[in-house]
Amino acid sequence: MQIQRDTRGVELGPNQYEDAEGYLAPLAAGSGPRSNPLGEFPTGPAIGERLPDVVTSDSDGRIVDLHHDRKSQPVVLIFTRSVVW
Amino acid sequence: MTEFEAAGARVYVLSYDEADAQADYKAAHNANFTMLSDPNSDVIRSFGILNTTIPEDDHPWYGIPYPGVYITDAEGVITAKFFENNFTVRPGPEQLLAAVRGEEVLLKERSGAGAEVAVEIELEGDSLPVGISREIVARFSVPEGKHLYNEPVPEGLVAAGIELDEQSDGVIAYTPVTPQTRSMTLSGDGHTLEVYEGDVVLRLPVAQNGRAMEKDDDGRWVSISGRVQWQACDSEACGLPGEQSFSFRVPAEFTVMADMGPGEGRVPSMNGATHFKKMTARRQTEV
Repeated sequence: MQIQRDTRGVELGPNQYEDAEGYLAPLAAGSGPRSNPLGEFPTGPAIGERLPDVVTSDSDGRIVDLHHDRKSQPVVLIFTRSVVW
Repeated sequence: MTEFEAAGARVYVLSYDEADAQADYKAAHNANFTMLSDPNSDVIRSFGILNTTIPEDDHPWYGIPYPGVYITDAEGVITAKFFENNFTVRPGPEQLLAAVRGEEVLLKERSGAGAEVAVEIELEGDSLPVGISREIVARFSVPEGKHLYNEPVPEGLVAAGIELDEQSDGVIAYTPVTPQTRSMTLSGDGHTLEVYEGDVVLRLPVAQNGRAMEKDDDGRWVSISGRVQWQACDSEACGLPGEQSFSFRVPAEFTVMADMGPGEGRVPSMNGATHFKKMTARRQTEV
């Protein structure tokens, strides 16, 4: 899959850029944190597949094995870009 | 969160931040979900959702995922996914909850064949912050023996769908969420169409880009209007197309943002600037 970067948008003024959907940000669409894919992009495992294993540290530094930790409960797993910026 | 607990679900948030940055975030927001730290993007890569449009030496941005959400059932099998191209928009909790619960199919009393299609339209959620999507939900009751059509349909038929008015400026529609269809081949011309039957729930995620806000003494507001269309047919004949308009006006709040600097809608300090510097420095020395 050839993934393209969405650079559509206009500069409205100093540190004022509008993307193709009209969202404003201080960076131009397609640069740094504003790098969105244009068209098709991978979204990982498909509906109907088992959620892949996730074993990593939690915010307290403890290692969490998600499938063990969830204790037979349904899961909402959110991949977010960053909680810092 | 209590709603997710009540639905029996566990919520995990994974990012490429260091654990101590996540700990500060949790404390600043009184968050009680589990945060998973993936500073080398190993999990993100194993899911195949690393944002590869960012060059490897573009710090600190390289390493982030295409943001999205997976919902699983009690067996750990994925039952729903939420991904959109524009990271600026992300699903609201109402959408995730609906996916966790699964659409309840209510077996209502139905009148006999020939009864009309009934539709109820609501906006799920009581506000529309910038970039957080809510769903317009259309619930159809389709009488037994009748069906509605999914896109695409040949000329002359109207597929069931939700559309925004063009003047809903600043409100953007995203990928519709539709139930499973059944294939049906028309006896006349042999066209195979995808149909919905029974209690049908269509969902259209919408978000606003900040331009749709009206301001008055009571605060900021956003208006969303549009129409739901459908056409019900049975194996013999089709009824006239149906249409119902909707219009919602809800508070438009500012989205909670990280605290990288001063500004409206910023959250209490979580030492964002410090973590940002630390993360950038670590990533630069790694290469």
